Amino acid sequence: MRIAVVRPQVPFARGGAEIFSDALVDELRVRGHEADSVTVPFKWYPGARVLTQAFLWRLLDLTEADGKRIDMVVATKFPSYLVRHPEKRVWLVHQFRQAYELDRTDLGQFGESPADRAIRRQVQELDGVGLGEASRLFATSQNVAGRLERSTGLVAEVMPHPAQDLAYRNDGHGDFLLSVNRLDRAKRIDLLLEAAAVEPTLRVVVAGDGPDRARLEQLARDRGLAGRVRFAGRVPANELADLYATCFATFYAPVDEDFGLGPYESFLSGKPVITAIDAGGPLEVVHDGSTGRVVEPEAEPVAAAAVWLRDHPGEAAAYGHAGKAIAAEVTWDRAIGRLLS
Amino acid sequence: MKVALFSPMPPERSGIADYSALLLPALRARCEIVTVKRGRKKPPRGTDLCVYHIGNNPDAHGWIVEALRRTPGVVVLHDFVLHHLVAGLTIGRRDGHGYLDAMEREGGVVGRLLGHAVLDKRIPPLWENRPEDFHLAGEVLDLATGLIVHSRYVQDRVRAAGFDGPVWIVPHPAFPVPDLAAADVGGAPLFGTFGNINASKRVPQLLEAFARVRRQHEASGLLLVGATSPGFDLDRRLQRLGLDGAGLLREGYVDEHRLWELMIAADVHVSLRSPTMGETSGTAIRALSLGKPLIVSDVGWFSELPDDVALKVPVDDREVDTLTAALELLATRPDVRSAMGTAARDLAGREHDLDRVAELYVSSFEQAAGGGEVGDAVLHEVSEAAAAVGIAPGSDEAREIAASLAEVDLGG
Repeated sequence: MRIAVVRPQVPFARGGAEIFSDALVDELRVRGHEADSVTVPFKWYPGARVLTQAFLWRLLDLTEADGKRIDMVVATKFPSYLVRHPEKRVWLVHQFRQAYELDRTDLGQFGESPADRAIRRQVQELDGVGLGEASRLFATSQNVAGRLERSTGLVAEVMPHPAQDLAYRNDGHGDFLLSVNRLDRAKRIDLLLEAAAVEPTLRVVVAGDGPDRARLEQLARDRGLAGRVRFAGRVPANELADLYATCFATFYAPVDEDFGLGPYESFLSGKPVITAIDAGGPLEVVHDGSTGRVVEPEAEPVAAAAVWLRDHPGEAAAYGHAGKAIAAEVTWDRAIGRLLS
Repeated sequence: MKVALFSPMPPERSGIADYSALLLPALRARCEIVTVKRGRKKPPRGTDLCVYHIGNNPDAHGWIVEALRRTPGVVVLHDFVLHHLVAGLTIGRRDGHGYLDAMEREGGVVGRLLGHAVLDKRIPPLWENRPEDFHLAGEVLDLATGLIVHSRYVQDRVRAAGFDGPVWIVPHPAFPVPDLAAADVGGAPLFGTFGNINASKRVPQLLEAFARVRRQHEASGLLLVGATSPGFDLDRRLQRLGLDGAGLLREGYVDEHRLWELMIAADVHVSLRSPTMGETSGTAIRALSLGKPLIVSDVGWFSELPDDVALKVPVDDREVDTLTAALELLATRPDVRSAMGTAARDLAGREHDLDRVAELYVSSFEQAAGGGEVGDAVLHEVSEAAAAVGIAPGSDEAREIAASLAEVDLGG
């Protein structure tokens, strides 16, 4: 089949959704399909720009390219699923969260003016149209599917997506707690830093980059964490695999996360995960006392969970092993089989 | 965003007052709402949007229409046919010319002549016997910047009447069910009908059908709850139909507490209507909330109820026969009653959930208040981009862009 995998592109930014989308193209090609990635830059501010940028997708003609039919498009996130195609499949990573559960929170975008309120509603209307047109609708987690059903009434099949292809391995119980995530406020890396401040024996590596990095680095300086917390930035694949292999656990506690590749990558490395009770998607695979620790989103409980896992290597290994069994079930063969059927 | 709400409110005795009181806390959790005192015609300072609840009762809604005349806004149209309201605001205030003008506006010269005949008492009031032919909603529709309606039926009617502004369909919210025991009134099974007792509630047809059913089901009862409308003589109706009233249980106007007890007692709720003013039945919504099977007339909003919660009786020559069959079915099949009741409760929880309804309301408020500005902004940016690459207004390309915008309801 000739398949276009469509997604918005925020120039100079790369996160889990981009990794997932690119991996999907690669995996489709491996299975003999002619697949390509189609991206359109996306800027969601100021004012009604989110709507005009979304509307761009409506003007695209992806029914064919260079005189050859495109059999299917697979869209992953807002606003790419507004593209029109007779065989549009959506594998939803997330909607435009500022218009939904993040509205009227610190992470929201829309104010209380009538125009802002109307833009938010219009985003919701667009979702109803774009997602309602899909011939099949998948969501990467129960959390994403639940939000979708509550907001639009549309029912999606839950289909987690596999983790990125890394040389996953477990080199033993290391001495640091690892965070792998984009550095923005919703990922709540500051919670990890505050935990390190509470527990002076805790060592932390923060991998990833993003708009919140400067603030987080300043916070680390303010808390006197130099020497115990290392900001590794965006690391290459082999180094990332090394970090996973040598940490004692990972921290992954965004606010109501959609899905989150972090726990899957951690599990594939045999490492348990510390998350928070309000983390959303990760809670579907991180279970307290089974595959990791689930704690209140406060510094002390996070620090206590980290110390406990560090000081109980046997239990940490067992949790990581149990997590690996869950992650191993999520394969590209199964996912692509369902996606294309 | 500040919304001024013009609505009858308790202690006024009106279904719409109860409706607004039920919704208000859920609306206030989502948006700043100021309720405007009865009689005031201007919204408070700083109001972004005025919302007017309009129904057919001139006492309850006259001042609201007057406020709408001063400041256009979103109208929650509880009834499509507003003939009774307009008659109250004109004839009821000794303004016969106003009534004639309203009739002419809708029915042309013929309408005006009919209006004269009504004023001269040559023909019965049109709001009683031909309301559907002269809805008299024209002025309200002209003043409304957007409409909130409760059914596709009313949406279709306002479109047919020429309203081309935004219309949002928002279901009636389900009522919270009080924890009460059923009233001990007898009847096995017990059929119940709630609300004013009159011809438009098809009470004569119901009495006749019930009498037939009772021949086979001697223990069955029919509970009539509500005030008898002026001019409707129940005893004479029974006499005329040759019925002895056996099994008939009668309660007049009852308070809320007693109403729920009686509703809980009824095994089957009967909610018939013809003609319809396009209204939603608050008592039918209560029946759904209680998980009671319904028998309804196959008209207006009632027709839109899912088939698994309501048996629908067409208003035709065979109305009494069909109604008899429906009563008979539910009298003999407790399993069907149970399945319909379960479906009714599910529907109330799903479609008529209070929070869902409030969210739909606020969504429509927000679109109404800011949608124009946002639409203009989108249209401006898209047209500028199109013009910059040489797409001329009126060209095929411009038309294609306009169609794409319209498809996703963007750009006005």
